[in-house]
Amino acid sequence: MSGDAALLLALAAFGVGTGAASGLLGVGGGTLMVPFLTLAVGLSQHAAEATSLVVILPTAIAGSLALRRRGVGDLGLALRFGVLGALGAAGGALLALGLPATTLRVVFAVFLAMVGLRLVRDAVRA
Amino acid sequence: MTDQLLHAPGSLAERRPRRPLDLQLVAIGVVGGVFSGLLGVGGGVIMVPLLVLWAGYGQREAHALSLGAIIPISIGGILTFGFAGHVHWLDAVALTVGAVAGARFGAGLLTRIDERTLKIVFGCFLVAVAIAMGAHA
Repeated sequence: MSGDAALLLALAAFGVGTGAASGLLGVGGGTLMVPFLTLAVGLSQHAAEATSLVVILPTAIAGSLALRRRGVGDLGLALRFGVLGALGAAGGALLALGLPATTLRVVFAVFLAMVGLRLVRDAVRA
Repeated sequence: MTDQLLHAPGSLAERRPRRPLDLQLVAIGVVGGVFSGLLGVGGGVIMVPLLVLWAGYGQREAHALSLGAIIPISIGGILTFGFAGHVHWLDAVALTVGAVAGARFGAGLLTRIDERTLKIVFGCFLVAVAIAMGAHA
């Protein structure tokens, strides 16, 4: 029981970190939560992804409302293209069933590393 | 106060003028959504770079747009993943309690941080995510 309480506390603390990254970086935080939930908490890949998506929703709402109050961004526009993105998400989820997850992660990881380095390089040169 | 906010350097004045929903934004939303569905993430790590490098948004504006778009995208992902049976609700609630507080803090920071620092922080975050994902694979 105390182990459970400790785990929940650790999850809440980890959530503060992913939430802060989410609000600052405009991401959902799933890239941090999914590995944490599988590797540290021991959930299956499917359970980790589903749990992560459930956390992402209120996190994105809280961050977006805070930004809207401060006049940053255009929430109406974001929601409109996000609705179309939701259709893409449905397609992606179906596609995921037919693709090898490992290949997908490697390709995505290489892509992210390239983009990340380019952004840092741009900023450093600016 | 509003006037001050609008004209502070490195703040809202650097925003691009508001634009309508165009094909480019639609494409970015769909790509973000597909990645969200594929990997069970929000899709921001792909939408933010596209908004900045392809659509030409400022870093701050891109982050805010991405976060807003994640709201419907995550709903789509939750519905398609068929969340019944897979979600660990107690874990989700604990994470959410922390994440909502963290998001408010992070969003506050986003409004104050300068664009250049933000770009470097985001770039490093992407590289870290890439390493984590490569290790995970």
